[in-house]
Amino acid sequence: MLDIRRISTNRWWHKKKTWRFLGIFFILIFLRISKGSLYKDFYFFISKPFWPGQFQKEVIINSIEKESLIKIDLLKKDNIRLREILSLQQSSNNDNISAAVISRKTGSWWRQIILNKGSKDGVEIGNTVVGPGGLLGRVQSTSFFTSSVRLLTSPESKVGVWVDRFQINGLLVGSGDDHPNLIIYSKDADIKVGDFVSSSPASTLLPSNIPIGIIKSIEEPFQTKKTAKVLLLAKPHAIDWVQILNSKI
Amino acid sequence: MNKFLKKRLSIISFILIPIIFLWHPNWLGFLGIQPYWPLFWLLPWSMINGSINGIIFGLFLGLILDSVTLDSNFTQIPGLIFCGVWFGRIKPHSDFLVGHFRYGLICAFGSFLCGTSFFFQILFKNFSDINFLVVIPSVQNILAEVFLTGLFAPLICSQLLRLFKSFIGEKHGNKFLY
Repeated sequence: MLDIRRISTNRWWHKKKTWRFLGIFFILIFLRISKGSLYKDFYFFISKPFWPGQFQKEVIINSIEKESLIKIDLLKKDNIRLREILSLQQSSNNDNISAAVISRKTGSWWRQIILNKGSKDGVEIGNTVVGPGGLLGRVQSTSFFTSSVRLLTSPESKVGVWVDRFQINGLLVGSGDDHPNLIIYSKDADIKVGDFVSSSPASTLLPSNIPIGIIKSIEEPFQTKKTAKVLLLAKPHAIDWVQILNSKI
Repeated sequence: MNKFLKKRLSIISFILIPIIFLWHPNWLGFLGIQPYWPLFWLLPWSMINGSINGIIFGLFLGLILDSVTLDSNFTQIPGLIFCGVWFGRIKPHSDFLVGHFRYGLICAFGSFLCGTSFFFQILFKNFSDINFLVVIPSVQNILAEVFLTGLFAPLICSQLLRLFKSFIGEKHGNKFLY
């Protein structure tokens, strides 16, 4: 009888350590499933004293000027071309949410930024994020206090774009470096270095005509498609404040 | 308070890893790339507690780091588990300089393994895409990460190993110290 009792106390389920490990394991599984929302909220509080100030650097001011000029040009063209349906696509500035960048991973494998506005501020998954210069990316996950943005440079990012000079749609695919690839599914597309790229009017994911970048180099045409490297106007490694566009497309 | 902190040092340092991972201090980086932070904790922990603990905490670290990154298709768990097993089989070296050099070398190789496992996952996912546009930046990522991890490991790992050992030494009557 005593022997049985001794053996039974040695079972794994009688050990406190096992239950502690299982407890931690299930907590981490929960964290994984919730995409680290608890952790990100914790980070939100401890990083508060280090949030960026109100003032932007001079580099960013140049980008804003470029962005404004290009935007005005595009809006003029849009006004003529899409006068009738433009009012449906317009969104007021009240829909925009200003947010500070509290964590950024712009190098390495993971290209993302974390913002200090989350679901409590009305940020939703899929919202467009723009910074001085133009488009930065889209909100990929939100926690109560924070939101994570997948940058255009991330290898998992794919957005529809518009080459303004040639009036053609293309696909902007992140390549893991600072210059995403523009893929145009037409071998004869006459794209040139310096051509301006904006978000596509046909895109169902992004509002149209948000400045994105300028074509930096063009690669040799391959089979039925043409590929080019794009220099982004918005610089995620330098931007401290962004706008989250909450408009419905 | 001091005793409490000392007792919970391993847990506190474990919780700090994802915070540093999210913080991503640029002034510590090279080409915009950071050292691979989890290995700095995993090496001393596994060296003291063995391979089984290495596997478990490699898995825990992988889970927590995967949860704070957005790439749901790729995971850091295989690389960290492998490093946990391997680090658990390594014993501290008696010579001060050789020991420090070894931490650098081991962490650099561990970072190479983790980076390569991540890279192969990206390649596998993009296998159908003929132009491997991610190859060059990925190789650059791996090399910069290996360099930085190897550079900082002697400083950080030796300190963490000393702190973990001192706690275990106190707990077991200093028999682990020598």
